[in-house]
Amino acid sequence: MSMEPRETVAKLVVAVLFAGTVVATAETRKEFHFKVHRRASVSVANQFGPIWVKPSSGEEVVVTAVLHSDKVEVDHTYSLNRVSITSHLLSGADAESGRVEYQVLVPADANVTLHSATGPLRAERLHGDVILEGNTANVDVRDLVGGHVHIKTLDGPVTLTNVSDGHVEITSVGGDVALNSVNGPLVHVNSTSGRIVYDGDFGGGGEYSLMTHTGDIEATAPSYASIDVMASSTQGKVENDFPLQPTHTSLAAKAGSAFAGTMGKAASSVRLLSFSGKIHLKKR
Amino acid sequence: MTCEEFGRVLPELEGDHHNIEQEEHLKTCSFCSGLVSDLNAISAQARLLAEDQEPSPRLWNSIAIALRQEGLIRDPQASARLLGLRLGRWRLAWLKPVTIALVVGAALLLELQRIPRETPVAQQAATSVPVIGTADGVSQGSAIDADQVQLLNLVGSRAPAMRAGYESDLRAVNAYIRDAETSVRNNPNDAIAQQYLMNAYEQRAMVYEMAMNRALP
Repeated sequence: MSMEPRETVAKLVVAVLFAGTVVATAETRKEFHFKVHRRASVSVANQFGPIWVKPSSGEEVVVTAVLHSDKVEVDHTYSLNRVSITSHLLSGADAESGRVEYQVLVPADANVTLHSATGPLRAERLHGDVILEGNTANVDVRDLVGGHVHIKTLDGPVTLTNVSDGHVEITSVGGDVALNSVNGPLVHVNSTSGRIVYDGDFGGGGEYSLMTHTGDIEATAPSYASIDVMASSTQGKVENDFPLQPTHTSLAAKAGSAFAGTMGKAASSVRLLSFSGKIHLKKR
Repeated sequence: MTCEEFGRVLPELEGDHHNIEQEEHLKTCSFCSGLVSDLNAISAQARLLAEDQEPSPRLWNSIAIALRQEGLIRDPQASARLLGLRLGRWRLAWLKPVTIALVVGAALLLELQRIPRETPVAQQAATSVPVIGTADGVSQGSAIDADQVQLLNLVGSRAPAMRAGYESDLRAVNAYIRDAETSVRNNPNDAIAQQYLMNAYEQRAMVYEMAMNRALP
C-alpha cells in the first residue's frame, strides 16, 4: 500500500474515534439509590426511551438513567415508601435528544408503574402489581407471579410470558397481543384491531375473555384443558379443534360463526369474541 | 369563578341554592345561567311524572350506558338490565329528576369543554370524512367530530409526529363504537353486545386519556 492511502485511512480512523468520543460524552449516565420497605410504589414516566425493570437483591430501588443529551433531565421524588422518576423534557427536545434509557431495580414485591410513549417497556420476575402504559411502546412482561398486571397501549405490541396468579387486563387499540403461559383468576384482553394470540392451558379456574372488534383471535390449549368455552364472530369465521360437550347457553351455536361447550370439568370460563375477525381454538 | 369551575359543581346544585360566588358568576355569564334555567325546568317537569309512568328497561339501559361512558357509574360489572331492576326498588319520584339531571349535567360538562380557555387553541372545522369503507357491514373507519379534531390539534401542537397515529386510532375506535351501538340497539338485552359497547367506550376513553397526557405541557 502506498503512503498516501495509508495516511488517508489513518486520518479516517482518528476522525471516527474522535466522533465516537464526542457522541459518547454527549450522553450522561446518572444513578439513584432509594431505601424502601415492603410493597414500595415505584413509578417511572419517560416520554422517549426504554424502561427495564428487574428485581433487586435487597430493599432498595436503584435507578440507572442514560440521558442522550442535555435537553432532558431526570426529576425524582422520594417519600416514605414511594419513588417517582420523571424524564423532564427541556425546550427544544425531540424524540432523539429527549431520549432516556432506564434500568430500574426494585424489590420483587414492589408495585411498579411505567409510562413511555415509544418504549420499549419491560418488566420481569416481579410479584407486585405492574401497570404499563405506552403509545407505540413494545411491552414485554415475563415471569410475574401473584401481582395484578394492567397494560394499555395504542399501537404497541404486547407480549406476556409465564404470568400467573394475578389479574391480567390488557387494552390495546391496534397492538397485537401475545399471551404465552398466562394463567390466573382473571385474564381480559380488549382490542380494537390488534390480533390476539393465546398459548396456554386456561388454567387456575379463571375467567378468560379475549375480545376484539376486527382483529383475529387464535387460542391454543392442550387436550386436557378444563374449560367452559364460548366463541362467536359476527362476520368472521370460527373454527374449533376440540370435541366439546354441549352446554346450556344463550349463545346460539352456528356452524362457522359461533360455538359453545365444555371440556373436562369446565374449571375455567373462556370467551373468544370478535365482531369481524377470525377465531380459531386450536388443540396443541 | 370561571365557567369551568362552575361546570364542576353544576351537578351538585339544588334548585336555586347557590353560594355567593356562584351567584356572582350566574349574574355575569348568560351561558351558565341559561344552563341552570334549563336544568331547573327539566327537574320541575320530571317531578310531575307519575310513579306508574315508569320508563322502559331500554331507557334505563341507555341511561346506564351514557353514565358509564361519562365515568359517572364506577362499577363496570353491573349490567344495564341489573341497574334498571335495582332502581325499580327505589322511590322513583325523587330519583327520576336526579338521574335526568345527571345525564344532562354530564352532557353539559362536555359542552363546557368547548368554551375557549386562556390558552389559545387553533380552531378548525370538523373533519367530515365519510366512513372509510365498510366490509360486510362492519365499519373499517369512522369520521371524527369537532371535539376530537380539537383534541388532535392539541396533540399536534405538542407532538406533531403523533397526530396521525392518534387520528387513525380514534377512527378505528369510533367505528368500533358505531358497530357496538348498532348491536345494542338491535339486541338491548344481549349481555355480549353490552360488553362490546363498554369495551369500545373503554378504548376511546384510553385514547383520550393518552392524548391529553401528550397535549398537556
